[in-house]
Amino acid sequence: MSAVTRIAREEWRLWLRSKVVIAAALIIAVLLAATSFLTIDRIASEQSQRLEQQVAAEQTFFAQPDRHPHRMVHYGHYAFRPPPPLAMFEPGVDAVTGQSIFLEGHRQNTAMFADTKAAADLGGFAALTPASLYQLLLPLLLIVLGHAMFLRERESGTLAVMLAQGQSGVTLAMGKAAALLGVIVIFMLPLIGVAAFSVSAGESVLAAFALAGGYFLYLCVWGAIVLAASVILKQRAVSLGVLIFAWLFAALIVPRFAINTSSAAIDAPGKIESDLVMLAEQRKLGDGHNAADPAFQQLQAQVLEQYEVETIEELPINWRGVVASYSEAELTDLLNSYTEERMGLEASQSRMFDLFGIASPTIAISSASRTLAGTDLATHHRFLREAETLRFDFVQALNQAHAEQLDYTIDINRSNDAASSQRARINAASWQVLDEFRFEPDRADERLSRSGLTLGILLGWLFFAGGVAGFAARRVKI
Amino acid sequence: MTSPLEARSLSLVREGNAVLDGVSFAVQQGEIFALLGGNGAGKSSTLLTFLGFLEPSGGEVLVNGASVSSDVAAARNAIAYLPEAASLYGHMNAYENLDYFLDLAGKSAGRSEIDAALERVALPPEARTRRLHSYSKGMRQKTAIALALLRETPILLLDEPTSGLDPVAIDEFHDLVKALATGGQTILMVTHDVYGACQVADRVGLIRDGKLVGSFAAEDGERIDTETVHAAFAGRGVA
Repeated sequence: MSAVTRIAREEWRLWLRSKVVIAAALIIAVLLAATSFLTIDRIASEQSQRLEQQVAAEQTFFAQPDRHPHRMVHYGHYAFRPPPPLAMFEPGVDAVTGQSIFLEGHRQNTAMFADTKAAADLGGFAALTPASLYQLLLPLLLIVLGHAMFLRERESGTLAVMLAQGQSGVTLAMGKAAALLGVIVIFMLPLIGVAAFSVSAGESVLAAFALAGGYFLYLCVWGAIVLAASVILKQRAVSLGVLIFAWLFAALIVPRFAINTSSAAIDAPGKIESDLVMLAEQRKLGDGHNAADPAFQQLQAQVLEQYEVETIEELPINWRGVVASYSEAELTDLLNSYTEERMGLEASQSRMFDLFGIASPTIAISSASRTLAGTDLATHHRFLREAETLRFDFVQALNQAHAEQLDYTIDINRSNDAASSQRARINAASWQVLDEFRFEPDRADERLSRSGLTLGILLGWLFFAGGVAGFAARRVKI
Repeated sequence: MTSPLEARSLSLVREGNAVLDGVSFAVQQGEIFALLGGNGAGKSSTLLTFLGFLEPSGGEVLVNGASVSSDVAAARNAIAYLPEAASLYGHMNAYENLDYFLDLAGKSAGRSEIDAALERVALPPEARTRRLHSYSKGMRQKTAIALALLRETPILLLDEPTSGLDPVAIDEFHDLVKALATGGQTILMVTHDVYGACQVADRVGLIRDGKLVGSFAAEDGERIDTETVHAAFAGRGVA
């Protein structure tokens, strides 16, 4: 057995004989097990529910009877975002963004049914999830276990005896590091279990184990920080105090500061604020429900010329359907421009937040974790874009049916009496225009690529903290 | 003939203060040399330079003729060191402590060898499986000495080895040290116990304010005269 292994083994012997250490490890293990079980159960249930709801929403849409096509535009449809398999470990922004959206004509609605608003106010740090336990509590366990592991040798005088046996400070530090690594590996097992379970639920092996690898890297960073403090500092109370402060700084202070700074530096107006501004511009586009709106005079002239007729009554298509289609396209362009601008600003805020990982490994892992799990802001934005494409396509398909399948004269007289209303309906077979919607997370390699920066920052942290610990160990004196 | 331990004009400055100033001595094989001095005289610092824990500011220290600065690993390999506090792990028993430190020193010893060493230092068998945090100072000291024995090194450095021991334990310890020297081990001990130094040492060096100010040797199998050394220690005369 090498000296490093032997030192690690003896550190473990000390821990196993310490009631405080065993109690702390057991509390965290129980918390981890309970949180993992509850989160897995909740996410698995949500996943199946949303898939069922998506199918039910499609079937309900298809099952509508003969109607006026524009009534179907407002009848609307739902798009659901089922949580990805790794959300059972890292729910990410899903809890605060909403995971279902009502799709209808002329509007881009907000995603609904966010689990909690409170968590959003704390940047997602409020909810107790397996990911938050790994991000917040496991570093604390490493601090409890390791804050005195090197300096204790100095305090008790065993450092001199150890060095006198021909061992170096670096060997001793490596042995202590190996002991902490053993703790990290053991506490990685639940995460590896969740990763394997997520693979069985359809997640890619690459994403699942990249997530596990990211957390391994993160815990190693904390292990190196703890080791460095233990080598450099001379008193265990000072070491514990410094490390607890480092934990508070990295896990609570910097994230709060990063959220505020990102929000202040990049001012992204909220959905309601954007909608109010948009409304003024929307009015200039004209009301698509009113084919006589002056905003459509130019369109009318073009269409009449195209069909070489004098009046809209002579057109072979329903002028109201043409206006609805044109208006929807114009409106959607306007809505998309605002939405893209807002999402761009939110993405910039998110990128700025990620850069604070340089000051806090907890931020780096939380960002990487959300990205690899497919529960990050970028994934939510893609859901909004895909849902919008679905909305636009089915609304325009209904507008096309309006223009082609419903006679203009029947259409404008639909409110005369019940019989007129009955005549102004088209066949329910036309509702088959709705595309099937199944939202999937990004490919694993894309997620891995997107988390490259934050994983790189974590690697930088490991080299830095490990380097400091190694340098200090090389210069250790009794 | 090369001396196992030798200090040549050894000087040491720590935090601007001269701790050692031109100390020179050599300890021959099988000899017990006691470095005697008061608190802060520089005796423990002298000892630590032989282990390479402190780097001389001037002069040099040699172990088996080789400068410690140039090959600290060889020096530590040749030396068994018994620190003043007999620092071992309280959460382990005697067997576990000895096994661990021997392993770190690259040695291995079976249970019977460890028992033999513990017998030699008179650690009661019933105590050997108890954790050291329940040991008295003397029992810890005995365990640490057992480690030094098991290392089987040619040189033994002892830092205040009898501090905190009862008179019986001190006598037993002195007998053991003499036996080791008779067996060929070179022993350098630092102490402020005049009587103990004169009882056990072949030669006593008196150190004061970082300087070696006196040397006393036993002659014709007689012990060093305690009164003479005590007078010198108290500043009433130097031999």
